[in-house]
Amino acid sequence: MSYFTLILKNPFRNKTRSSLAIVGIAIGITVIVALGMVTGGLKTSTQSTLKAGGAEITVIQAGSGSFGFGSGSSSINDSYVTDIQKLSGVKDTVGILRVISNAPSGSNSSFSGGGFSITGINSSKLSLAGVDSVNGTIFTNGSANEIIMGKTAAQDLNKTVGDTVNLYGKDFTVTGIFETGSFIQDAGAFMSLDTLQNLTNNNNRVSNILVKINDNANITDVSNTIQDTYPELNTTTAAAQAGRINQGLSFIDTATWAISLLAIIIGGVGVINTMIMSVYERTREIGVLKAVGWKDRRILGMILGESIVLTLIAAVVGTVVGIVGVEAILSFSPSVGGVITPSFAPDIFLRAFGVAFLVGIIGGLYPAYRASRLAPTEALRYE
Amino acid sequence: MNNKPNIIEIRNLKKSYDKGKIKALNGIDLEIKKGDFVSIMGPSGSGKSTLLNMIGALDRGDEGAIKVAGMDLMRTKNLSNFRSQEIGFVFQMHNLIPNLTVLENVEIPMYETNASSKEMHERALELLKSVDLGDKIGQNPTKLSGGERQRVAIARALVNHPSIILADEPTGALDSKTGDIILNLLKELHQKEHVTLVMVTHEPYVAEMADRIINVLDGKIKSE
Ligand SMILES: Nc1ncnc2c1ncn2[C@@H]1O[C@H](COP(=O)(O)OP(=O)(O)O)[C@@H](O)[C@H]1O
Ligand SMILES: [Mg+2]
Repeated sequence: MSYFTLILKNPFRNKTRSSLAIVGIAIGITVIVALGMVTGGLKTSTQSTLKAGGAEITVIQAGSGSFGFGSGSSSINDSYVTDIQKLSGVKDTVGILRVISNAPSGSNSSFSGGGFSITGINSSKLSLAGVDSVNGTIFTNGSANEIIMGKTAAQDLNKTVGDTVNLYGKDFTVTGIFETGSFIQDAGAFMSLDTLQNLTNNNNRVSNILVKINDNANITDVSNTIQDTYPELNTTTAAAQAGRINQGLSFIDTATWAISLLAIIIGGVGVINTMIMSVYERTREIGVLKAVGWKDRRILGMILGESIVLTLIAAVVGTVVGIVGVEAILSFSPSVGGVITPSFAPDIFLRAFGVAFLVGIIGGLYPAYRASRLAPTEALRYE
Repeated sequence: MNNKPNIIEIRNLKKSYDKGKIKALNGIDLEIKKGDFVSIMGPSGSGKSTLLNMIGALDRGDEGAIKVAGMDLMRTKNLSNFRSQEIGFVFQMHNLIPNLTVLENVEIPMYETNASSKEMHERALELLKSVDLGDKIGQNPTKLSGGERQRVAIARALVNHPSIILADEPTGALDSKTGDIILNLLKELHQKEHVTLVMVTHEPYVAEMADRIINVLDGKIKSE
């Protein structure tokens, strides 16, 4: 039997105590892995929101404050759509009307309260809103009974192409289902602009104008041109929006690190306790190891190794529980599942194992040192 | 007296515990010849174990001189190397590691040697056969009888080819019949392997088996 095998075997001598220590550390690792997968997923999603579609600039009404998703109140006369089109640097524009309707009947409970985001748009300019490919067909402009739905929305409402949904007392046929990768978009639906304007008494009014700039134009320059020409309008860019989301994510990142630190401390204390108990119980045995010629360094290495074995087992357990947990929560809750595609980036798992390894070293060092410094005669006299 | 060389030479060795309050060894003078079987007797607390621990370099003396197998134990830095190469301990309690098999227990001292896993296995097996436990190598020590455990401990003591076996009341925890078997085994191995055997015992008849009997009292050698 090798020294390494001995180190692997020893933690299983007191299964209850070792299991408790493993559970303690595994909880921390689970949290680290789960948070890492979720924030990682949100980051990817934010990036695809950024990349999605072509519109770099969103025009909103001045004074309407933030980038209001379908607040409905921010309304711009749709004549601006053609006006802005004429400005230099602008390649294309489209006016969109965003409203939050009540969730259609038969929708999943997870939707209730949130409402259902519907966007009215010119169907030929869907790509400006980030919708590039549709499974099925897109709605026809002017059609009063056609709608396309995001993948998440369709899942949540349990609809496929050809099904109907009732909105504003009218039946709409789902002609297509799209996926943009942006969780906000994919939870909503699009229909013909004038239809939505009629239904919501918003004739000639849009909530935003999406602006695509020329390939050689500068986003800031075009934004400034729009605001300078029409002081009553305001602009926001996809980058600025993503920046706000990233701010939130970096806060979660910091929180994840704080939790990792907490896991190191709590787990470390648990490991120190477990290993001190183990050394204490094996005092005589350590005396014998010294009597048969083991060097202090070998005893130190054994105890430290046992500690690392414990924490690495905890890392494996914690990682598995984290992955299974995240996947389970996402699959039981489709609305959340549609928002987050968990990330499996290697750095999440590296972090988890790094933390576990660190806890193993920190927790094992002192007990290992104590064991290595035991006086052999005292250790052998120990009852 | 024969003309074999001394393997153990001790001059005026002193060792005290509890900051000098307990004088465990109070000026020991002793010479033991290579290959001898020496028995140490004396009342409890007289310093027998302490003397054995000094010879086995488990602890250092406070004063005096002690030379074992050519090593000056008052000065040598690396005592673990010395123990690994020269000494085999047999304690009253077998002190086997409960979660390891009999064979693995015997392999333990070989970790500090250059032996490969295969060599370790072969050497341990050879010794276990010689103490008549060849059929129990895969067993857990907790499943063995007291006598069998002590035989495993003897195999462990011999595994690194030590020049000296130090046995501290090896039969103290056994019934007399089992104890006799252990004693005969130790004596037999001592003869076969030409190893020096120093054994602490309470039983006069056990001591009679030895080449020499040394009586210790209050940390000194009282008589031979
Ligand atoms: N590590 C120690 N710490 C304190 N006292 C000790 C220690 N080892 C031995 N002693 C004391 O030294 C004396 C001799 O002990 P020991 O050599 O074990 O005697 P024996 O083996 O003859 O019974 C005893 O009084 C014992 O209590
Ligand atoms: Mg004793």
